[in-house]
Amino acid sequence: MKIRRWALHLVVTAYSIFALAPLFWMFYSSFKTNAQISQSPLSLPTSFHFGVFAQAWRIGGIGKYAMNSIIATAASTAIVLTTASMAGFALSRLKFAGSKSIIVLFTLGLLLPVQSYFIMQNQEFELFNLKDTRWALIIPYASMGIPLAIWLIKTYIDSLPKELFEAARIDGSTDMQTYRFLMFPIIRPALVTVGIFSALSAWNEFLLALLYVQDESLKTIPTGLLSFSSKYVTDYQMLFAALTMVTVPMIALYVAFNRQIVAGLTQGAVKG
Amino acid sequence: MKPTSRLGVFILVAPAVLLYSFAVLLPFIGTIVLSFMRWDGFDSPTFAGIANYTRAFADAIFRSTFIHVGIYIVATLFLEVLLGLLLAGFTSSLKHSSFYRIALFIPVMLPMVVIAVLWRAIFNSDYGILNAILSSFGLASWQHIWLGDTKTALLSICFVSGWVFSGFYMAIFTAALNRLPSDVIESARLDGSGEMNIFTKIKVPMIRQVTSIAILICITGGLQGFDLFYVLTDGGPYHTTEVPTTFMVKSVFRDGEFGYGSALAIIVSLIGLSMALIFNIWQKRTRVDVEY
Repeated sequence: MKIRRWALHLVVTAYSIFALAPLFWMFYSSFKTNAQISQSPLSLPTSFHFGVFAQAWRIGGIGKYAMNSIIATAASTAIVLTTASMAGFALSRLKFAGSKSIIVLFTLGLLLPVQSYFIMQNQEFELFNLKDTRWALIIPYASMGIPLAIWLIKTYIDSLPKELFEAARIDGSTDMQTYRFLMFPIIRPALVTVGIFSALSAWNEFLLALLYVQDESLKTIPTGLLSFSSKYVTDYQMLFAALTMVTVPMIALYVAFNRQIVAGLTQGAVKG
Repeated sequence: MKPTSRLGVFILVAPAVLLYSFAVLLPFIGTIVLSFMRWDGFDSPTFAGIANYTRAFADAIFRSTFIHVGIYIVATLFLEVLLGLLLAGFTSSLKHSSFYRIALFIPVMLPMVVIAVLWRAIFNSDYGILNAILSSFGLASWQHIWLGDTKTALLSICFVSGWVFSGFYMAIFTAALNRLPSDVIESARLDGSGEMNIFTKIKVPMIRQVTSIAILICITGGLQGFDLFYVLTDGGPYHTTEVPTTFMVKSVFRDGEFGYGSALAIIVSLIGLSMALIFNIWQKRTRVDVEY
């Protein structure tokens, strides 16, 4: 019994080392010179200088890319949360003409992969001169997140007792008031899930960012890192410093909120 | 309930509907229309009937993308779903397992491009650790130009994908295993069943609903795979890692074949949609009464 448990621990620990080793290698390589990295890729650094991080952040543009990612993520997530909670509330609690067909349309959106519409979306954005602006990412990230967000929020409100809303109605509350003062506070758990899923999807999105934003000053972390890695193709230390700077803060955030993030990502994927 | 005012309903629903229609629904319909056109992006499009579709089915490279993505999906079913299930089974019977769960999920939430750039460095033949580790174990003959060799490129991508997503499926399965009623497992244990038997004969069958969802996510997600392929090989060497999406992006944005690219997009989307549909019908048929 005991031996079996130790064997299990050993297997899973070995796998965890395999999972974390690449990240560890990336981290300590950012303290080695280019010569050390290419001559002995495995060796540990001998000294710790942080100058390369400042260089990657300012001259390499990682700081700029991070700012662009923050703007695109924050704006699209805010739009998803407000529009989807309003629509989710109306579609769950209010009976009006067309509500059924609107639900069908959004359900279709749950199933459509980005491949099925990005070619014409690109043309549309070209037509409206949206490419190479901040809207080129905010609009698609928000609208791609809306179907799943509405679905999660609507299911959550469906499960609440209807007396709650009837009582508000009897007290003379209008639908807008019910939304703002009653519903918004009580659906917070659903909003946390939706927010985490939308924010991480936007933060990590690559295909549309690659196609819609060529302007260096507007690139987000995924596309920015790619142009960084081709600019500094022989400067290994810079590359590792850049990788470390975009991953370590995310890992720190994740460790702090791991329960919510794991729940948000898995629920979002399973229900979507 | 009846709404208090029609204007109120409009204000609540319109923003989501308009945004979604503008950026998803209209472009989707447009892509369907465009798939029956011939268009280089500049001149006015001309009607092409089903020419784009017949061309797609005859295109050897496009057909080969399904073989590559098929290999990728089968490999990741093992490296992600099965491995995730085993890891969840291992850790859920251990007391101090939260470290594993937290650690193995880290790659899942990092941007795929960042991971791909990191693994490109690991596979690098000048300074990458993979070849360095092999030579330090005296296996220098195993060294490869991993991503540049037609024999190893696709498998290397599958491997990275497994490294990323095994933790994701592990999280899904761990949540499912933790929701299982403990009395069933306790009584099996009292009857003298070994842990191994309990896992394979009781726990795994009880979470089969979750397992089938995991398999569906792995298949449909694999069909849409792009980021890893684009950064690690961009379809090369000699199109041996070309998948539908990398090929589609090249057709449209490098060759300017908007109609043809749209037809490819619709074919791939239809395959994904029909898989989800078949899965749904099959799920309804085999639905068990108890919700876990």
